[in-house]
Amino acid sequence: MAVFMDLNVLFSADRKRMQSLIETAAHLGFSTVAINYVFEPTAKKKQEVPSPMPINELIGQLPVVQGRSRPIRVLNRLTVVMSEASHFRPNATEYRAFDLLAVQPTTEKLFHTTCMLCDVDIICISVTEKLPFFFKRAPINGAIDRGVVFELSYASALRDTTMRCYTIANSVCLMESCKGKNIILSSAAEKALELRGPYDITNLGVLFGLSDADSKEAVSSTCRAVLLHAETRKTASGIVYTMKSQQEVLEDSAGSEAPESQKRPKTPGEWGFGRGRTHS
Amino acid sequence: MVRVKSRYLLCEINVSDRSELLKLDDRAVARAVKAAVARTHGDYGSALCSMRFCVKYLNAHTGIVFLRFPKGCYKLLWSALPFITSIESRGQIISCFFNCLHVGGTIRTCQRFLIRYNTQQLHRMLPKCKNEEEKKQIQESILSCSLMGRNNEAFEDELESEEDGE
Repeated sequence: MAVFMDLNVLFSADRKRMQSLIETAAHLGFSTVAINYVFEPTAKKKQEVPSPMPINELIGQLPVVQGRSRPIRVLNRLTVVMSEASHFRPNATEYRAFDLLAVQPTTEKLFHTTCMLCDVDIICISVTEKLPFFFKRAPINGAIDRGVVFELSYASALRDTTMRCYTIANSVCLMESCKGKNIILSSAAEKALELRGPYDITNLGVLFGLSDADSKEAVSSTCRAVLLHAETRKTASGIVYTMKSQQEVLEDSAGSEAPESQKRPKTPGEWGFGRGRTHS
Repeated sequence: MVRVKSRYLLCEINVSDRSELLKLDDRAVARAVKAAVARTHGDYGSALCSMRFCVKYLNAHTGIVFLRFPKGCYKLLWSALPFITSIESRGQIISCFFNCLHVGGTIRTCQRFLIRYNTQQLHRMLPKCKNEEEKKQIQESILSCSLMGRNNEAFEDELESEEDGE
């Protein structure tokens, strides 16, 4: 059985609502959920990038996924709505706090640059308005080669008829160019009642112009590919990465009781090789 | 012998407040499905939906429904189900959504799946028990549904009453 994921659940400060959202997602059988923080920079004043709430603070105990014995995995994700090229800063330290990074370009030029150059995981396709530009084959192929995926969200399609028209039209338009590859379907739900079961989403994908197999992949294996891609973004191609060694953390927590001579010289991290985590 | 083939969709109606489920009846569900199909697929959809569609079974306690669709077009009709956001029943609007659990060719396979699914729900419920009595009740019902050779109907009723009590 495939593992289903929903990589877009809108963040709200209301704890109760978040909790019921996560619980419903676990009940429906999603084993990974990403909480989405939308950041929309405006030209006039400088805005702070939102910082993610710690997950254990937001949701007390994680519910167990339907049909499995493991609790649900909750990630953080940032979506930057881009109307100018300067809005996305590739090396911003604020972005590092998030597990996934998404971009929603609003013009054709920006779409081209994000597909070809920007170091992101997900490119959101707007579904709440008529397509602002035409999808060209070249940038989409470039994005597929780089492993970036396109995201379609269905929650707005559930709300009213015009949005449904736009969602279906935009998605069918996109499918003409990308032929069902590198697409993820996600909810963008604000309330628990806007989530849908994974099998329903798969069938909804058929309405959006995907084939049966592709739409199943859009909720399962492509999402997994996104997570792996996000990992390579954080690390050096997924081969080398730094982490604080366990021992050091322990000593730090022990505080000044440990004699100065036994303390190891402080390094920012320890180098680990290979994809497995190294513990000293 | 040739028989007319259908597909049975085993769906779960999810609501935010479980007590609202008791207000549902099968005619209201059928009306909601037909309206959703008409909205998404227009006249063609409603024509297909009028052929052999019916609500075979509704369990108002657990919110389980069996929907029967003609085999040829069940995918098309199914794709309208996610667009249901509310059901109007006896003048009240219940906001809910459909979650499809299983697609079967006969009612019997669906029933078998449902029994397995309900057992799974009981297992999920077990760690959430607050007192010993509840725990014992659920343990008993888990044991009773793994016991073969009993009348299916009987222990399905038992499951219902159990989930009702939660």
